Amino acid sequence: MGSLFGASRSGKKISRRDFIKAGSAGVAAIGFPFIVSSSALGADGAVAASDRIALGFIGVGGQGFFNMKSFITNPAVQVVAVCDVNEESDYSKFYFGGTAGRKPVKAFADNYYAEKNNGSFKGVDEYVAYQDLIGRKDIDAVVIATPDHWHTLISIAAMRTGKNVYCEKPISHNVFEARWIAEEAKKAGVVTQMGNQGHAEEGARLLCEWIADGAIGNVHTVHIWCNRPGGMWEQGIDRPSDTPEVPKGLDWDKWVGPAKFRPYHSLYHPFMWRGWWDFGTGSLGDMGCHQMDAPYWALKLDAPVSIEASSTKVNDETAPLATKIHYKFGKRGDMCPVEMVWYDGGLKPARPEELEEGRELQSEGLLFVGDKGTILSEFNGGSPRIIPESKMREYKRPAKTIERSIGHREEFIAACQGKGKACSNFDYAGPLNEIVLLGNVAVRAGKKLLWDSANLKFSNCEESSKFIKEEYRQGYSL
Amino acid sequence: MVDIEKLNIAGVGGGGQGWSDLHNLAPYCNIVGICDVDDKRAEQSWNEFPSARRYRDFRKMLDKEDNNIDGVVVGTPDNTHAVIAMRAIKMGKHVYCEKPMAHDIYEVRRLTEEAKKAGVVTQLGTQIHAEEGLKQAVEILASGKIGKVKKVDLWSSNFCNFVPLASGEHDVPSTLDWDLWLGPAEFWPYNPSYVPYLWRQWWNFGSGILGDMGCHIFDIPFWAFGLEAPESIYASSTAVNKDVVCQASIIHYKFAATEKHDAVEINWYDGGIYPSMPDGMEADRKLPASGGLYYGEKGTLLSIHCGGARLVPETEMKSFVKPEPFLPRGMNHYQDWVEACKAGRKASSDFEYSGPLTETVLLGNIAVRTGKKLLWDSKNMKITNCEEANGYLRRQYRQGWNL
Repeated sequence: MGSLFGASRSGKKISRRDFIKAGSAGVAAIGFPFIVSSSALGADGAVAASDRIALGFIGVGGQGFFNMKSFITNPAVQVVAVCDVNEESDYSKFYFGGTAGRKPVKAFADNYYAEKNNGSFKGVDEYVAYQDLIGRKDIDAVVIATPDHWHTLISIAAMRTGKNVYCEKPISHNVFEARWIAEEAKKAGVVTQMGNQGHAEEGARLLCEWIADGAIGNVHTVHIWCNRPGGMWEQGIDRPSDTPEVPKGLDWDKWVGPAKFRPYHSLYHPFMWRGWWDFGTGSLGDMGCHQMDAPYWALKLDAPVSIEASSTKVNDETAPLATKIHYKFGKRGDMCPVEMVWYDGGLKPARPEELEEGRELQSEGLLFVGDKGTILSEFNGGSPRIIPESKMREYKRPAKTIERSIGHREEFIAACQGKGKACSNFDYAGPLNEIVLLGNVAVRAGKKLLWDSANLKFSNCEESSKFIKEEYRQGYSL
Repeated sequence: MVDIEKLNIAGVGGGGQGWSDLHNLAPYCNIVGICDVDDKRAEQSWNEFPSARRYRDFRKMLDKEDNNIDGVVVGTPDNTHAVIAMRAIKMGKHVYCEKPMAHDIYEVRRLTEEAKKAGVVTQLGTQIHAEEGLKQAVEILASGKIGKVKKVDLWSSNFCNFVPLASGEHDVPSTLDWDLWLGPAEFWPYNPSYVPYLWRQWWNFGSGILGDMGCHIFDIPFWAFGLEAPESIYASSTAVNKDVVCQASIIHYKFAATEKHDAVEINWYDGGIYPSMPDGMEADRKLPASGGLYYGEKGTLLSIHCGGARLVPETEMKSFVKPEPFLPRGMNHYQDWVEACKAGRKASSDFEYSGPLTETVLLGNIAVRTGKKLLWDSKNMKITNCEEANGYLRRQYRQGWNL
C-alpha cells in the first residue's frame, strides 16, 4: 500500500494494474465498470483501460453534468462512478437546461459507453455519500461540483485518500478554507485543478505577456465587472418562511451538510443556492475566480492590503443585488501598487476615455489601466485588445513565452497521468480564492478592512473574523 | 384672521413633504387653501390649518382662490409637479415647488422659461440650500481653497428598501381620487404599491433615488462652480425595467470647461453604492449616508448631507482657515422665498438656477435607462447620439392634460 500512495502523492495515476496487485483489502464497494473490449485493451490506438484515469463525479447537478460531458469524451478517461445526494432535478428553468442528478447522469455515462462499444453498459456506479466514492481505491481522480459549502471538505477528504481533485470554483466557501485546502493539497501531493477554464485559454496568456512587455506601462488599476445575478438566481432576499416537502430522491440533510440545518425550499435547490451565504458565495464567488484570474496572474497579485465594499442592502441571508468592491494591493517586486475594483449586479466602471464613440462596454469584462494605456478584455481575459483599436494595431506583440494549454480539463487528466502540470492547481488557486472571498467579507462587514494575511485576520475588525472561518455543523468536521 | 404682512398661499399636496412645506411656511404665510386628492393624507394639513379651504382638484382651487393668493406650494408626487406649477405660473402666482422640479426634462425646460417670462418668484424645495453647512461647502469650493477640482463623487444611500408590486386587483380607497392622483401620467390601475409612499420607485410617477436626492446633492457643485449642463452622461445600474426604477446605479457626468468653470467630472452613486474612501481618510471613518467628495489639487473636501463639510483627513481640517463667508445668511429656504416674493427679488434657488440643476439630475436617469454614453446638446434640448434616449425627454400626457 505504501508504494501505491507514494505513486499517488507524486501526482500520478494509481493504475488499475497496480491497484489489483496491491489488493482490495478494506475496500467496501468496488465497482468493476469495464467491459473488456478490444478498444479497452488498447487496440486501434485507444488508450488501454488500464492506463485510463478512473474518474468519479461528486455533485452531478447542472455544472457536474456539464463537466462530465466534457471529461467523458477524453479517451484517457474512464468514468466509473457518480455521487449525488439528489436523484434527479429539472434544470430546464436554469441555464443548464434538461435534467441532472445521480440517475440521469449515470444513465448518460452508461449510454455513452454503451454506444461507444455498440453494446449495453451499466457499469457506472452511483453513490449518495461521497465517502463511499472516495473510499474506492480504483478511482484515480474526482470531479467535485457540489454547492460551494461542500467544496473544501470533500476536496480535502478526497485528497487525503490520495485522489487527484478537480473542483469547481470557488474551491472554498470562506477564506480560511481557501488557505487550508491549499495546505492540504501540498501535503497530499496530488494533482489538483480549480474549474476556472479560462485559465487554460489564450487570452489570459496574452494578457500576461503583454503586460510583462509593458504594453500599457505600469498597471495601477483593474476594473472587473459582472452582470450576475442578473435574474439567474435570487439575491437580496430574506429566508422563506414556508417549508415545502423535500422532493423525492433528495437527501436534504446531506445536502445541507456542514452548514447550519434549515428546512428544504426550492429557493436553495436545485440551482438557486448560490445567492445564500450559508451555501453559496454570491455573484462574486461565482464569477470572481474566472474574472480575477487574469489580473491575479498577470499582475502577480498577492494578499490585498485593504478591502472596501459597498452594496445594495446587506442582509444575513443572501448576497446583495449589486456590489462594488475595492481591493488595494501593495508593490510586488518592481510592480506598482494596484487598485482592483469589482462591480456586480449590472454595475460597471466608468467608460474609458480611450474607447471609441459608439463602442460599448460589454455586460461583463475586464479593464487593465496602465500609465501608458488601457486593455479591455472579455470576462475571463479572453480576446484582450488595447484600446483604442488603432493603438492595438500599432502594438508589436511580444513572443509567446508562456506555454499554451491543451485544455483545462485535459491538462488535469494529463497531469494525473504524470504528464505536465495542471496550472490552476490549489497552490495557485488558493490565494486567488482568498482574494475573491475577502470581497464578500468586506460586503458584510460594512467597513474598510485592513488585511493581515499572515495571521488570517483583519487588523481593524475583530468582529468580521466570523466570516473568515465558519463553524461546521456537528459531525461534519474532518 | 388674515395677517396682511404675510404672503397668502395655497398648497397642493397636504401629506408628507407637502405638509412639511406648509408647516415650515406657516410662520410667514397665510395658508388659505389646501388641495389634495387623498383625504386621508391631507388630514395632516387640514388638522393643522383648519381655517384653510379644502379642495380636491388643484385647477378648481386655483380658479376659486385666484384673487386670494399670491403663491402656490407644490408638494405632490413628481408626476404632477409640472402641470400644477405651470398653471400657477401662468396665473402670475409665485411658486414654491418640491424637488425634482418636474418629472421630465421637457417639463423642466418649459417651467424655467415660463417662470422667467411671467416674472414670478420661484423656489425649488431644496431647503438645505439655506443651511450653514451647505453654504460653507460652497464657499470652500468657490474660493479655491482646495485648488482646482476636476473630479467630484456624489452619492445617496437613501431609500433602499424596494417593495414589489402588490399582486391582484385593488379597489381604489373611497378617500382617494385616483384619476386626479395620476394627473397627466399614463393610466395605471390603482395599486397600494404606488400610493401614498412608494411612487418614487416607479418611472411613471417618480424618478428614483436620484430624482429624490439628486437636487440636494448636486446643489453644492452647481452653486460652487456655476455648472449649467453636462456634455456627456454615462451610467450603469442594476437591471433596467421599463416600469420600476433601478435599485442601484453609478452615473458619470462630464462638464466641459466654460467661462465660469473648469472641466469637471461628477460621479453619482446610489442604492447603497458608495465611492471608495479617499486616500488619507482614516480607515475607521465611514462615509456619510449621503454626501459628496471633492478632489481638489490642494486637498479633498467631504460634504455631509445636512451635516457640514470637512477636509480629509481630519488633521487637515484642524489647521484649515475657512474662507470669509460671502453667501447671504440669516434666512431659511422658506423665508427666503417669502421675502423674495415681497421684495420682488429672486429667491436663492429659483428656477433659472434650479432648472438646469434638475435637468442634469434627470439626464442621469435617461443614461441609466439607455445604458449608453449620451451626448447632450442642452441648447437644443436634444441627445445627439441616441434616438431612444430622446424618447425619455418628454412623456406623452394622458388625454385631457397639457402643460
